[in-house]
Amino acid sequence: MNPFIRFLARRIGFLIITFLTFLIIIFALPRAIPGNPLAALLYRIIEQQQTNPDLIKAVHKKLMEEFGIDRPLHAQLFEFISRFVRGDLGTSIAFYPRKVAEIVFTYLPWSLGLLIPAAIASWILGNLLGALAAYRRKTRVDNALLPVFLTLSQTPYYWLAMLLLYALAVYAKIFPLSGAYSPTRLPSLTPAFILDMLHHYALPFFSIVIGAIGGWAIGMRAMVIYELGADYVTYSDSLGLPDSKVLRYVFRNSMLPQITGLAINLGLILGGSLVTELVFSYPGTGFLVFRALSTLDYPLIQGTFILLISTLLLANFLVDLVYAYIDPRIRTGYVGD
Amino acid sequence: MIPQIVKDLFKIKKLDVSLAVFIGMIVMSVFGSVLYPVDPLYMANPPESPPSKVFPLGTDSWGRDLLALLINGIKSSLSIGVTAALIALAIGVLIGVISGFKGGLTDSSLMLVTDVVLVLPSILIMMLIAAYLKERNPFFVSVIIGITSWPWVARAVRSQMLSLKTREFVYMSRMAGLSDMRIIIEDLLPNMMSYTFMAFVLLMSGAMIAEAGLSMIGLGVTKGVSLGIILYWAQLLEAVRRGIWWWFVPPGAVLVALAASLLLMSTALDEYFSPRLKGG
Amino acid sequence: MALLEAEDVKAYYSTVQGYIRAVDGVDLSLQKGLTLGLAGESGCGKTTLMNTLMMNVKPPLHLMNGAILLDGKVISKMDRTTLKKNVWGVLVSTVPQSALNALMPTKRILDFVEDVITHHMNVSESEVLSMAKKRFEELNLPVEALYMYPHELSGGMKQRAVISISTLLNPKLLIVDEPTSALDVSTQKQVLKMLMDLRKAAIIESMVFVTHDIAVLRQIAERITIMYAGRVVELSSSEDILYSPKHPYTYNLINAVVTPEPEVRKRGLTSIPGEPPNLLDPPKGCRFHPRCTRAIGVCRSVEPPLVETGGGRLVACHLVSPGA
Repeated sequence: MNPFIRFLARRIGFLIITFLTFLIIIFALPRAIPGNPLAALLYRIIEQQQTNPDLIKAVHKKLMEEFGIDRPLHAQLFEFISRFVRGDLGTSIAFYPRKVAEIVFTYLPWSLGLLIPAAIASWILGNLLGALAAYRRKTRVDNALLPVFLTLSQTPYYWLAMLLLYALAVYAKIFPLSGAYSPTRLPSLTPAFILDMLHHYALPFFSIVIGAIGGWAIGMRAMVIYELGADYVTYSDSLGLPDSKVLRYVFRNSMLPQITGLAINLGLILGGSLVTELVFSYPGTGFLVFRALSTLDYPLIQGTFILLISTLLLANFLVDLVYAYIDPRIRTGYVGD
Repeated sequence: MIPQIVKDLFKIKKLDVSLAVFIGMIVMSVFGSVLYPVDPLYMANPPESPPSKVFPLGTDSWGRDLLALLINGIKSSLSIGVTAALIALAIGVLIGVISGFKGGLTDSSLMLVTDVVLVLPSILIMMLIAAYLKERNPFFVSVIIGITSWPWVARAVRSQMLSLKTREFVYMSRMAGLSDMRIIIEDLLPNMMSYTFMAFVLLMSGAMIAEAGLSMIGLGVTKGVSLGIILYWAQLLEAVRRGIWWWFVPPGAVLVALAASLLLMSTALDEYFSPRLKGG
Repeated sequence: MALLEAEDVKAYYSTVQGYIRAVDGVDLSLQKGLTLGLAGESGCGKTTLMNTLMMNVKPPLHLMNGAILLDGKVISKMDRTTLKKNVWGVLVSTVPQSALNALMPTKRILDFVEDVITHHMNVSESEVLSMAKKRFEELNLPVEALYMYPHELSGGMKQRAVISISTLLNPKLLIVDEPTSALDVSTQKQVLKMLMDLRKAAIIESMVFVTHDIAVLRQIAERITIMYAGRVVELSSSEDILYSPKHPYTYNLINAVVTPEPEVRKRGLTSIPGEPPNLLDPPKGCRFHPRCTRAIGVCRSVEPPLVETGGGRLVACHLVSPGA
């Protein structure tokens, strides 16, 4: 079998196992809470959300049905998975009678629109800066940049968000205070709306980008420093290849582990951006998660998390695909040393 | 008297700087409550007042002294950080050692588990578990953080085991008929001490940031103060939009200082313990 | 006129503790068509000399003194960019010690070759391909290898591919660095044969062969230079060096090698006690005197000059009189 396909098949297999593990965790958690039978718990939660006693009963009945509480565990699991496969993630308690899947898909695009460009931008910029610092190692440039990268890598995006919001929106009033677009406008594809949206998009975007750059820069710097000492660099150099060309070789080889790093760190970036959304009251899944967690809207919690993880695993797979394509060693079945 | 290694370590500038910052913070938190014996939860001070002589870091919306909150918060964040790091270290080292030493099916299955935990974002898992626990004491929070942050340690320890396993002194011990357990304890573990210490430092820094993240979402400790919880209240009460900068700037800055100094420390230790093979 | 000339070359490494005098006053000349072996223990400075001869000198290494002339040009005065464009790969080329990782791992051999050729010459892609194919065929390498990635080739093939690439542009001088140390005996033979074929086919004119293995030099070099502690201690024809070494160090070096030559074996096996000197602060007088069994008074205080002893022999030893 083509080594390329073999590699991808292995990755897909792994991602499926991971996903199933997560599903089982999600399934088991509410049923594993010590001392609190799910039925009673759900009743109390619903009571907090609704006031009409008839409605409370209706919601409770619906949820019992969806959770399958009165049935044996294996039946519950089966019910859970078959519903999931059909795309039914249950009904929200807080937003009753809206279906969880529908709610999440309203908020998800805003998060993705923030997360994906920010992750990619910080990755590219971070790698460029890291390579620059490595190339100018032990000079003033590197000595100045390294502590900056170090500090940035440990700065939570949401705190940066608070600083930026305070400095640029509250104090300097350059950017808006909250939301994805002005409350007075309706979403449409007009240039005016898009401009307004970008205006609101700027601060959340920069909070994530600046927060994530540090980590990439440090990693790339280390990689490039290591690669610069490699045999192929000395040899290519001795054959007369210009420094710029040799550097390009080094970057190309240093990028590869950074691509893998992107897959690994996507989860971290996701988590960070969710909390950042809160600071800006940005209408993404961050807001949804927060709302769901504070109201203990279990179906919504479950659904949101399942969809977030699915998106993450999908992104992981896409990155693996890119990596497998770019690294010729994968394509030719090199097992590695 | 003082072992040579300690003397050598103190010659590294990076280490001195980071240790200075970090220990400074610890001292501040330990002696802070003695030197500044203000009850952080006392709510009758004038609310939302900016930093002044009476209140060096101002007060929050409930009239609580922010400097007192900060001092107590540092203590809490540090202790949760240490506990979580120890838990993660224990799990990571245990799995790494077993996996690397045994090899074969044990290795493959343990590594599969490790990879699954690695891919699943720890923040989300932590949020999930925390959401289902009504009462969250500091130990519980440490456990949650600990059980999601160990994968990279396991992988690194395993690599070390794999390379150490083939060294001559291990071969000698096997020839001498020493049991697996003795080989692990006497030959292999001592050689990983330096790495283990570094890993602990890194884990601690990550744990403190993770705790702050959980708290920001409202899933931190249910009672008590931590740096993340101060930020959580600031966020909840719209401190940013209302310009109450003294509420959110110091706790975040202290958190970053703590985490960054720990990272710098581990980088310095890494450079010291792993000599560059080429260049440098 | 000699192809390569080195006059009183001094190349030091600057360190916090001072200068490491890796090459401390070396004179060398290599005629067209000959192979010069450069031999000595590890740390004697031969690798540094090798780099200096092609002016691959980057801090912390500095050329403190002397001139290097290659094909009549004073390359010791050229800047790095000129060297890269006009000298390296074109006039002088190296074959590195470890070919295993010398090739760019994520590029096909042909793509790498293209980069090298097009930097020095203005040719089209198809011309590059034909040049590469022709050379590979001449040197008995499978043309398919051009389309592969380095990790797809065996160790021996990689070594030979590297030699082909280094000589693609027909450099006049080829500097080979320990090409046989990492190889098994049969591959060693292949590599040596390849190098000799290159000279026979006039693809290269001369070679400098750096090694610590003197036995190999007998097969491929006409003249051998023995280095010790940054200086040349003996320079002569291979015959002379191997069968009648004059310098005590050379003598011991030959005896430390086990070869099936009955002549050499007659002398018995000796190893040289002691260690090479610290190049930060070399010993006064002759640098070998602390380990020399025949050292006399003057050896401890006066450094012996490298003198002609007749028949193209040069020796730096107080015990050997000039013209003897």
